[in-house]
Amino acid sequence: MSLQKEHIIYFERLKAFFNNYMNMPGAEFDVLVPFFEVRSFDKKAQIVKMGEVDNYFNIIAKGLVRKYTLAGKKEVTLQLATEGHAIHSEVSFNRRVPSDVIVETIEPSVFLSLTYDNLQAIYNSFPRTERLGRLVTIDMYLKKDLRDYSHFRQNSRERFLNYIQNHQEMVQRVPQKYLASYLHIKPETFSRLKHLVKNKKS
Amino acid sequence: MELLRKYLSRFIEFGEDEFVGISQFLEVRHFNAKDQLTKIGEVDQYLNFIFKGVIRRYFISGKEEIVSHFTKEGDLICSPVSFFSQSKSFYIIEAIEDSTVVSISRDNLEKMFSSSNRFERLGRLVIIEWLVQQCEWENARVRLSPKERFLYFVKKQPQLVKRVPQKQLASFLSIKPETFSRYKHFITATDNLEIQ
Repeated sequence: MSLQKEHIIYFERLKAFFNNYMNMPGAEFDVLVPFFEVRSFDKKAQIVKMGEVDNYFNIIAKGLVRKYTLAGKKEVTLQLATEGHAIHSEVSFNRRVPSDVIVETIEPSVFLSLTYDNLQAIYNSFPRTERLGRLVTIDMYLKKDLRDYSHFRQNSRERFLNYIQNHQEMVQRVPQKYLASYLHIKPETFSRLKHLVKNKKS
Repeated sequence: MELLRKYLSRFIEFGEDEFVGISQFLEVRHFNAKDQLTKIGEVDQYLNFIFKGVIRRYFISGKEEIVSHFTKEGDLICSPVSFFSQSKSFYIIEAIEDSTVVSISRDNLEKMFSSSNRFERLGRLVIIEWLVQQCEWENARVRLSPKERFLYFVKKQPQLVKRVPQKQLASFLSIKPETFSRYKHFITATDNLEIQ
């Protein structure tokens, strides 16, 4: 596929992402396009490093990305995101402070990215995007709240079953250790649960 | 209302008229200690700004109450998923002290947003602040030891430490009650000590 065709597909995905939140006619979307950068990364590339100020809000056009932090030497996965989802260091990007999380690709990935300044420029030039920004942020906030709740409320088995029911594709794509960490399940418990499900199916 | 104006002015500048414009959407509500503002299974109708008092948000796991949030005067509280997606609440919102709140219903909040893009911006900035605080706390919870979590809270919310029951604070910080009691001396120490 030519690069240009690929880009068209990426921006179609971006448009679909926006339209999840509010109806955005083509002309309204088109004026936003020049503010975005298309950024490509290999797998295992660190997009945001610990201690660095995150300057980009990213929507994933292609690939698979995780966000994690370090508890001592242990990596703790906080987010797993794929095509059509947003990822950034929320604290660092919004407060303009050094990041205490790492954003790293798992697969080769393409981001459609807005710098902090470009995002502010969009809000200032196109007032309707204020609503879009509010709705996208509320969605991120509610997802986190639900995840917190299920962490406390459900046991490992329930969290596992719930997740694989709703994210079948992720189970295929994400290395097991990251998924286990994301779901707060010990690796050995995770593989036991995985076998259990397999055996049930056959 | 000055307290609310001060809070909102952190996000956008407010003219006198504009602030009066908001007031028509609000209602003042009073609660006694232990009154529930929102019950489990109920759709949360209000976003509340606390004028006076302390309010907590918690859920029940088995027989245990797990506290997810404390809020005191000068800040907002609701059952987020329930309020924003108009679904049944899995949280209980309950006053710890006698409290006065000024509340906006979901419908009025939508009306307010639709009335001006400036309110949309205000809403966006407030929710970003929530998201950022939530992520900061998530990170602290993951990275800090129980004792560090305790000191983190003392530093961020010195007033609340003394106003919420210790059992609830231990629950919020995911610290076992027996461990928590070993930290109690830090609470009295905050009177004369600047905690780093």
